[in-house]
Amino acid sequence: MIAEKTYLIPTSASEAIEMAKANLGAFKYLAGGTDVMVNRFQGNEESPCLIDISKLDELKGIAKDEAFLKIGALEILEELKFNEDLKASFPMLIEAALTVGAPLLRKTATIGGNVLCENRCLFYNQSEWWREAVGYCLKCDGDICIATQGKNACFSELVSDTAPALIAMDAEIEIVDVDGVQRVPLESIYTGDGVAPRNLSATAILTAIYLPLNREFKTAFYKLRERESLEFTSLTTAVAIDKNGKLKIALSGVDPKPVVVEGSVSDDKASLIKQAIKGSRAVDNDMYSRKYRREMIGVYLNRSFDNLKI
Amino acid sequence: MEIIKLTVNEKEYQVIVKPHDTLAKVLREKIHLTGTKIGCEQASCGACTVFVDGKAVQSCITPALRVAGSVITTIEGVADQNKLHKLQDKFVEKGAIQCGYCTPGMIMTSLDFLEENPTPTTTEIREALSGNLCRCTGYVKIIDAVEAYVKDEKAEAKEASKFNMVGKGRPYIEAKKKVQGAADYADDIQTKNALFTKFVRSTHAHAKINKIDTSKAEAFPGVRAVLTGEELPVKFGVLPISQDERAMAISKTRYIGEIVVAIAADTEEIATEACKLIRIDYTPIRPFFDMKEACEDVGEDEQIHSHCKFNNNIHKKAELRFGDQQDGLTKAAHKLKVDFDFQGINHGFTEPHAATASWDENGLTIITATQVPHYLHRYLAKVLEVPMNQVRVIKPTVGGGFGGKSDPFPHEMIIAHLSRKLGQPVKMRFNREEVFLTNHGRHPTTMSMEMGVSDDGIFEVLDADIIIDGGAYGSFGVVTSYYNGVLLQAPYKIDNFGFRTRRVYTNKPQCGAMRGHGAVNSRYAVETIIDRLAVEIGMDPCEMRLKNFLDEKSLTVGQYRITSNGSVESLKAVMERSQWAEKFKKLPEGHGIGVACGFFISGSALPIHWNEYPQSVVHLKVDLDGRVLVTSGASDIGQGSDTMLAIIVAEVLGLSLENIFVVAADTTLTPIDLGSYSSRVTFMAGNAAKQAAEKLKEKVLDAVAKLHDVDKTELNFQNEKVFSNDGKIDLTWTEAIENATRKVGALNTSGAYNSPKLGGDFKGAGAGLSPSYSFGAVITEVKVDVATGHVKVVDIWGAHDAGKALNPLAVEGQLEGSWHMGLGQAVSEQMKFRDGLLVNGNLVDYKIPTSKDTPPIHTNIIETIDPEGPFGAKECGEGAIHPVIPAVANAIYDAVGVRVTSLPINSEEVLKEIKKKQLEPVN
Repeated sequence: MIAEKTYLIPTSASEAIEMAKANLGAFKYLAGGTDVMVNRFQGNEESPCLIDISKLDELKGIAKDEAFLKIGALEILEELKFNEDLKASFPMLIEAALTVGAPLLRKTATIGGNVLCENRCLFYNQSEWWREAVGYCLKCDGDICIATQGKNACFSELVSDTAPALIAMDAEIEIVDVDGVQRVPLESIYTGDGVAPRNLSATAILTAIYLPLNREFKTAFYKLRERESLEFTSLTTAVAIDKNGKLKIALSGVDPKPVVVEGSVSDDKASLIKQAIKGSRAVDNDMYSRKYRREMIGVYLNRSFDNLKI
Repeated sequence: MEIIKLTVNEKEYQVIVKPHDTLAKVLREKIHLTGTKIGCEQASCGACTVFVDGKAVQSCITPALRVAGSVITTIEGVADQNKLHKLQDKFVEKGAIQCGYCTPGMIMTSLDFLEENPTPTTTEIREALSGNLCRCTGYVKIIDAVEAYVKDEKAEAKEASKFNMVGKGRPYIEAKKKVQGAADYADDIQTKNALFTKFVRSTHAHAKINKIDTSKAEAFPGVRAVLTGEELPVKFGVLPISQDERAMAISKTRYIGEIVVAIAADTEEIATEACKLIRIDYTPIRPFFDMKEACEDVGEDEQIHSHCKFNNNIHKKAELRFGDQQDGLTKAAHKLKVDFDFQGINHGFTEPHAATASWDENGLTIITATQVPHYLHRYLAKVLEVPMNQVRVIKPTVGGGFGGKSDPFPHEMIIAHLSRKLGQPVKMRFNREEVFLTNHGRHPTTMSMEMGVSDDGIFEVLDADIIIDGGAYGSFGVVTSYYNGVLLQAPYKIDNFGFRTRRVYTNKPQCGAMRGHGAVNSRYAVETIIDRLAVEIGMDPCEMRLKNFLDEKSLTVGQYRITSNGSVESLKAVMERSQWAEKFKKLPEGHGIGVACGFFISGSALPIHWNEYPQSVVHLKVDLDGRVLVTSGASDIGQGSDTMLAIIVAEVLGLSLENIFVVAADTTLTPIDLGSYSSRVTFMAGNAAKQAAEKLKEKVLDAVAKLHDVDKTELNFQNEKVFSNDGKIDLTWTEAIENATRKVGALNTSGAYNSPKLGGDFKGAGAGLSPSYSFGAVITEVKVDVATGHVKVVDIWGAHDAGKALNPLAVEGQLEGSWHMGLGQAVSEQMKFRDGLLVNGNLVDYKIPTSKDTPPIHTNIIETIDPEGPFGAKECGEGAIHPVIPAVANAIYDAVGVRVTSLPINSEEVLKEIKKKQLEPVN
């Protein structure tokens, strides 16, 4: 009477994709599992088939690859800090990784998993019973957004801390699925729709992240959270400027997708901040109010610009 | 189903697992290694940490199949046979273990991190442990223990402390068991053939139940019983005057989360699935969420409880007035009236409620995580409609309470009934969401407080008008109503004093007693107003407080008898330690220091049940083996009461703890103690134990003196010996017992504690009466980010008059835990509701401060030797929480010049006030 469940452990990406094909619509990939397993406990994730990709060695390792540093998607968040190349060229990624959850969690969580972690909302990341009590929202087959009390769009937040850091530094990702391998800018995978926040195909696996070398990034990173540990973000700001004066801002925690503003170090800062705030569709679905989180975008970005002396 | 091989603690297991089982479940339920604890099931507390192939993981989110074939180490595998790991030794020695529920996870996480970084700084330790929540210790002693281990500190010489027990810091008697994961908490106890119960909870805040369709659930294979409220119609409630709750909702529901159906099934999974098949048809009734709205008249059939006196939802009105407040207000040179608003908070103990019930020829036995076995005993008998002699309540090791396990609970009634009905043991455990829904936490409160002082800073008048949000049922609420007011009549002398409290029913989970019961929010109001008044008259706030403290051996305006009083010493201690004079008003912008004081009861002089039975009884028995059996109903919930009893008995009889054996909190085996609440246990059970020990001493004295023909006054009890002044009689303890048991057999004595008659003869005079009061002071230093409003508490100096610290290590632990809990209420914790639905019922969104958020805590025990406390002791478990919260608020004022009149003091509110102030014209 209780539905049959399976747990599959492929040893190669191609095998994983075959397994995914065979379980289309009924599976979930699991890397570190720190996000998926919690969502399963809450009933936010109920796939009968789990495909554990944590043993795919081809998804591990950090190495230079032409003009890029290639970071395997299964690299452990807490271990990024030991990598000399990251330390030298992309310390913001380490900084971002070390703000995720708590150290204990980061010893299991992977960079790929964090980039792809599920969007969150105070009115969605709850038990099955709770969501029934509130009246199911758009993200769980309901009719309206509960957070906004009636809008016909889902505003669950992107809560990855590493994604904005990566995007600010023009990261690309490598995706493998039934159609083969492709490499795209990380920011191109987001839909802006909280119900289905990414446009990846059903069988897609994020295999690696590429960060461009030789850009000499200077960066600033902030995360808004009540406690100094054990927190999802309420606003993450990542700012990077490269040797040519290109400036890129990426935010998470204030929209279903990353909010990205590009410009140059010589641009009017107030105008950049205005663009960032305007691009953020934050709603009251967090322990901090929408108003405060939007206000903090300006505070954090100003602080970032000060740190970067621009 | 799959069979996997695991090597756990060097032993090989083959276990059958379901595909999506977690490692935590397999370890606990299949391999029966229950040292690995479950606190949240969402990787947000760290209690379940184990090693997989040498690396720490949170087993609650680790799929079992992922680790098939792996080598696993759990807490049970850390010690080398019976030799503790050195880190475990340090946890024991440093008093890092209170309730012990977080301990296994803390040890595993620490070991893992120390492998990577063997010589960490304190900051690095705080960082490393910041995914492991502890609610008892404020992390102070845990960090001490890790540091001592890192430095390979030698254990302090113990010879001096083996005897003369009182006043020497020592680990809890059960600490070794806890540090090895061997202590049994309610959910760890395996019972043969037990069924599992899950609950269907109301999705409506206030609704008529039209129909419950249980048919599909009943037909579900493996379901043994589907229970609805009609089978348990008898009302209960911890207070005899508030019998307003039933085990399950009958005919209507009063909050989202109330239990409507319970299902007992062969497994937890089956019960969970069957719960989804229940269909309930409701007709909503107008819900009440707002305290003020609940005070107003309501329409027909809209009342939450029909027994409310008038046509509103007011549960209790308490009002007392002393002196002449009008006159006081007229005369006061400076007065201030401020409105406050406080969110509710939850106890946040790390062990979720769990229980197992079974019946045999002796009736019911229930093993349950409770602070009040005796009250549960009474109400199980009442609700199950059986005599008390058919009910036995056993408290196992409990993973923290703080008031959250101090009521008899519906789940206890339900499983007791189901077990009776099905003839099989029945167990249950809550998940964290259910813990939050069950609540009984601190009442959300709104109040208006007015105070007046003279030009020279003497308090002239205090008036408070308070509404507290009780939620759907009574719990301790009548007491809470009084405590919000009456506990303002100290620690300062205020002759014109009055208050009115209204406790209202609303359609939310009920509120009840929580550490510092009733007086925490109103203390915040008073202490922050004092700070404002001090600014107004240009007086140092410490000086102002020093001018107003009550004297020792005095009466308050409401006739509380103050015996010992360490207010002055406490305040002076923290002023000195914090370098108050050098810092106050002198720190740079954004950086400030603040002070506050407080006091609390050492147990209530008037018991809840008005009878002549003593508040606590302790029995002792000693036989030829010489070991003194102490039996007491007192409930150790991590605060160390078992150890306290042992220390007292050992002290009186000149014994070491090896000759004491404590059996506690089993209603069949132990004499009644009213429970672990209102900070009563050390004072009351301690006194009962002392009396019992003195009687036992007398018996031994009599026998030895008679047998050896020596005067009793010539004999001494020390170092496990009974000897005469001239040395001619020199008996070991066992020889003395052999002497004393001749012809009479085992010796038994009983000690009891009865409060003296205290207080006035007006209505409400009994509220807050206590045989003794504790006093204390806290100074905190904060840094405020003026651009974000974020407050970082950077130091806490606390002092608390505990009378006499029977076990200083335990007293420090209680104080540090109180200050840490207060820190949480001050800056981060709240229960956030939307339309009666709790939106943050988990340990990610309910923000208990982590080790990184907790500043260094500097602890000062003040000893005033209470004339009636056992060896001079009084309470230390609750009172310390009062001053810390307003001390943070006052420090924020010193830092940035703004006042926040709500709790928690969130960044947003601070920023709003900072901006408001920036707009003010500068004078």
